[in-house]
Amino acid sequence: MLVVAIETSTPHSTVALGNEQGIIGSTMLSRGRANHEVVVPAINHLLQWAEVRPSSLGGIAVGLGPGLFTGMRVGIATGKTLAQALGVPIVGLASLDVLAFSARYCRRLICAAIDAKRGELFSALYRPVPGGVARQTPFEAAKPAHLTAELESRPEDILVVGTGALVYRRELEEAGNHVEFASPAWAYPAATSLVELAIPRLLREDYDRLYDLQPHYLRKSDAEIAWDKRRRTG
Amino acid sequence: MRVLGIETSCDETAIAVVDDGRAVLSNTIASQVHLHERFGGVVPEVASRAHLENFNPLLELSLKEAGVTLGEIEGVAVTIGPGLVGALLVGIAAGKSLALALDLPFIGVNHLEGHIFANVLESGPIEEPYVAFVVSGGHTMLVHVPQALTYEILGQTLDDAAGEAFDKVARFLGLGFPGGPALDELARKGDPNAVRFPRAVTDRRFDFSLSGLKTAVVRHIKAERASGRETPVQDLAASFQEAVVEVQVDKTIAAARETGVRTVALGGGVVANSRLRRLLAERATSEGLRLLVPSPELCTDNGAMIACAGHFRLMRGERTPLDVGASPGLALH
Ligand SMILES: [Zn+2]
Repeated sequence: MLVVAIETSTPHSTVALGNEQGIIGSTMLSRGRANHEVVVPAINHLLQWAEVRPSSLGGIAVGLGPGLFTGMRVGIATGKTLAQALGVPIVGLASLDVLAFSARYCRRLICAAIDAKRGELFSALYRPVPGGVARQTPFEAAKPAHLTAELESRPEDILVVGTGALVYRRELEEAGNHVEFASPAWAYPAATSLVELAIPRLLREDYDRLYDLQPHYLRKSDAEIAWDKRRRTG
Repeated sequence: MRVLGIETSCDETAIAVVDDGRAVLSNTIASQVHLHERFGGVVPEVASRAHLENFNPLLELSLKEAGVTLGEIEGVAVTIGPGLVGALLVGIAAGKSLALALDLPFIGVNHLEGHIFANVLESGPIEEPYVAFVVSGGHTMLVHVPQALTYEILGQTLDDAAGEAFDKVARFLGLGFPGGPALDELARKGDPNAVRFPRAVTDRRFDFSLSGLKTAVVRHIKAERASGRETPVQDLAASFQEAVVEVQVDKTIAAARETGVRTVALGGGVVANSRLRRLLAERATSEGLRLLVPSPELCTDNGAMIACAGHFRLMRGERTPLDVGASPGLALH
């Protein structure tokens, strides 16, 4: 089964084409800012290089965030509309899960952390298990100090991975020397991992309903937050 | 040629199927007004979220209403600007995906050009040269169109768009959001000469400015409230509306005279304003001008106008590469 995977919830826009045997091709572009316009051309190139017609695709996989709102929406709108136009199933996976999956061969507890802007991080903790990772905590949007305290309270060795680890390294280091930081090369949820995670789900027909698939925002819009605050105090 | 038109530049998710740039097979809109009402204006993040939620079911609905399958679509036209960047990007990503999946020609459309082309849907191709007046929640613009798909901006707003000013004054009068239609309704019962509000003067003849008028209205109401006098609200609405519309009509007619055109085309949500329609119709008749006014559902943002403009560009062999981005400040030229 040929699958296209799209992951754009960080400033790294990544797209991959793969099947049960592995990855056929992938692209990643990070210019330190959003790369929304390259997503569809990247898919187009991958398909052309691999000499695959869009109609031969068997499924679509998309990263659902949490992450940068606009990036998530571009990736998800692209994935959903491709699936709708081609009449193929779609699966969505949380970007933190995808990020932790790439670090599954370490023995440590894994903390996946994506920069959430506004001085916050999206994060969750994972334990490596045979074949992947198992999430230990719910997705959270919080200040770095909150995550630092959480890491400090854990006795075991921890690997922190993600764009959040890069941005808030100094704060998170204060949790203690049982915390190690993954290389920047692992800092983004990769579409190649997304392909690997999506194929088993597609094969067992564990699809998502196209119309229901939405990003993990974890945070309301600023206008709604201000509105709620006004209502509470007013 | 059956073109699918996608419009997500502001707070309406809109998808349409138009055949040969003329026959509207479907023109579906998922309005978000109820989501923005409590904020008193369009919130970009709220709009972007709703576009993503609405897009795919709306696509199905639009095709169903048009009685066509995706396989029968022959081109994809998408608004690429001007507008809210996050909102535009949802429609652009979806439009590109359709073009890629179905191997269709893809064209990015300027939203303002779309508003002008709303006329083509009802009246057929507009004979050049003509002057277009686009007036909406986000724009106030006078454009000279000397030949097909060529635009010379004669003037535009230096501050608030007309629709924006209507909304703000309506809010001050307690009319809710969006205030334009409510203000129009109220003004019909009022005396437009009750208060003589200032008519904006700008350095360049065809530019518009509404911030002074807006301030004058607010100041007038506050002063009256303080002194215990109160002009009836319908008179205030009618007087404010008259001040806005009179300047718009004067400038539009002057633009037509100066460029020597015989046709004036209107576009944009504020064209739904009854006073603007009536006054402009009167003046156009006395000047011997042909006035094109789209019906209200084609004045507000919609996908059919984008499909129509896209159709004529595609027919000229124009294509937009799939790496095009959103242009929040896209100019018409
Ligand atoms: Zn508009």
